[in-house]
Amino acid sequence: MNASAATISHGHGHDHDSGHGHDGHHGPVLQYQPGLPLSRGKLIMWLFLSTEIMFFAALLGSYVVLRFGAPVWPKPHHVHLSEPIGAFNTFVLICSSVTIVLALEAARANRTGLAKFWMVLTLALGTLFLGVKGYEYQAKFSHGIYPWSPRSRVFEKPDLYYGSAVRARLGEPAIMDRLKELDDAAENTLSPEEVSGRRRLKQIGQMVSSPDQQPFDLAVVADQVMPLPVDASADHSGNSGHGSHGLNDTFPWLKLPAVIPGGNMWASTYFLLTGFHAIHVLVGLIVFAILLLYRLGPKRAGMIENAGLYWHFVDLVWIFLFPLLYLF
Amino acid sequence: MSVPNSDPAHTHGPITRVGEIPGHDDHDHDIGHPSGDHGHGGIAKYLAVFAALCVLTTMSFLTYSPAWPWRNEPHVGWAFMMAVSCTKAMLVVLFFMHVLWEANWKYVLTIPAAMMALFLGIMLIPDIGLRTRMVAQERALHMARPSDVRLMEQAGEAKLLADPAGQQNHN
Repeated sequence: MNASAATISHGHGHDHDSGHGHDGHHGPVLQYQPGLPLSRGKLIMWLFLSTEIMFFAALLGSYVVLRFGAPVWPKPHHVHLSEPIGAFNTFVLICSSVTIVLALEAARANRTGLAKFWMVLTLALGTLFLGVKGYEYQAKFSHGIYPWSPRSRVFEKPDLYYGSAVRARLGEPAIMDRLKELDDAAENTLSPEEVSGRRRLKQIGQMVSSPDQQPFDLAVVADQVMPLPVDASADHSGNSGHGSHGLNDTFPWLKLPAVIPGGNMWASTYFLLTGFHAIHVLVGLIVFAILLLYRLGPKRAGMIENAGLYWHFVDLVWIFLFPLLYLF
Repeated sequence: MSVPNSDPAHTHGPITRVGEIPGHDDHDHDIGHPSGDHGHGGIAKYLAVFAALCVLTTMSFLTYSPAWPWRNEPHVGWAFMMAVSCTKAMLVVLFFMHVLWEANWKYVLTIPAAMMALFLGIMLIPDIGLRTRMVAQERALHMARPSDVRLMEQAGEAKLLADPAGQQNHN
C-alpha cells in the first residue's frame, strides 16, 4: 500500500513536489494517511460488530416486546429453567473474556507459550459453555419443549384440544402396551411413586374420555401430567427443576402433552435467542482453533485482538440474555 | 493533498495513538512494542474488572433474596437487573474491548448502531407488543390467558387425585 502510493507520487509529482527542496534528497514521498486511526482488520471487525449490535437488538427487542405484550408468560420454573446453571454459564463466559484478553497481552509481550495457554483455556471455557447449553436444551427437550410444532408437546391451556391430545397419546398402540405392562406389574416391583402414578394415570385416562368433562377436570389432568410450580419464589431457594413430580417425570416413556400457558411463544423466543447466541459462540471457537495453529507472537496480536473483540461481543449478548431469559 | 514531511510524528493528523497505522503493525510490534500498553490495560486492571463482573452477576440474584424489599413489585427488580446488566456491558466494552482508550472513531460506529437498535426495539411495539390488545375471537379462544394459569394453580392446590403417598411425592 505504502509502496504503491510512493511510486504514484513519483510518477506525477515531480514537477511541483520538487518545490519542497528541504528533503529533496530522498525524493517526494507520499505519506499514507488513514481516514481512521485503526487497522483495517479492526475497522472491519468493528463495522461487523455494529451490524451485530443491530442483529441482536432486533432479537432481544422482539423478545422483550413479545414477552411484555403477551397476556401470559411462563415463569422460569414453568419451563424448567435453572438460574444457577444460567449464572454458571455467565461466569464461564466472563472468565473466557478475561482469558482472551490475557492471551492478547501475552502475545503483545511476545510470550507465545503463555498466549497459547490462555487461548486454549478460552477455547475450553467456550466449549464448556456450549456443553452446559446442550445440557439445558436436553432438559427442555425431555419435557416436550421444542421450538417447532410436531415435536412440541406444549399446550397453551387445558381446553378440549388438550384433552383430545392426551386421549390420543394414551390410545397409541405402543403406549397401550406399556400401560398394560404397568397394570400387570406386581405392586412390590414398583416404587411407591409408580404405584401412585399408575392409579392417577388410570384416573386421568377416565377423565379425558368422560363425555361430561369440565375445564377444571382438564386442568387437573394437566397438573397431574406436568404441574406448574405454584410459588416460584419458594422454588428458588430449594431444589429447582425437579421439585415437583408429574406423571411425565415418573414414567419417562409416557410423554403426554403438557400445559404451559404461554409456553409456545416462550419456546420460540428462547430457542431463537440462545440458538443464535450459541452459533456465535461456535464461530468464536472455530476462530480460536484456527488461531491456535499460529505462533501467537506480536505479529498475531492484531488477529487476536479482533477475535477478542468478537468474543467480548458474544459475552456482551449473554450478559443481557441471562437476566432477560432466566431472571425476569 | 499530501504534504511530504520529514518528521513522522507530525504527518498523521488525526492519529492519537502510534502503533495502529496500517502497514506499520509489524515494525511497530517488533520493536519491543514501546507503545503497546499505552498506559492502559495491565493484568491487574483486567482482574479488577473481572472481580467487578462477578460481583455484579451475583448482585442480580439480590432480587430473589428475602431481604429484597420490592418483592411484590417485579418492575423494580427488572429495572435493577437491567441496570446491573448495563453496568456489566459497559465494563466489558470499556475495558475488555479497549474502547476506553480508543480515539474518537468509536463514537462514529457505536452511537448510530445504538440508535438504530433503540429505534428497532421501539418500532416493534405497535405491531407486536400490542398485538394481543385487539385479537380475533377465534384467536382469543385459543390463546392462554391469566385465567388459565389460575385454573392450573387451583387444580394443583385441589390435589383431587392425591392419596397420602402421592401427596408426599407432590410436595
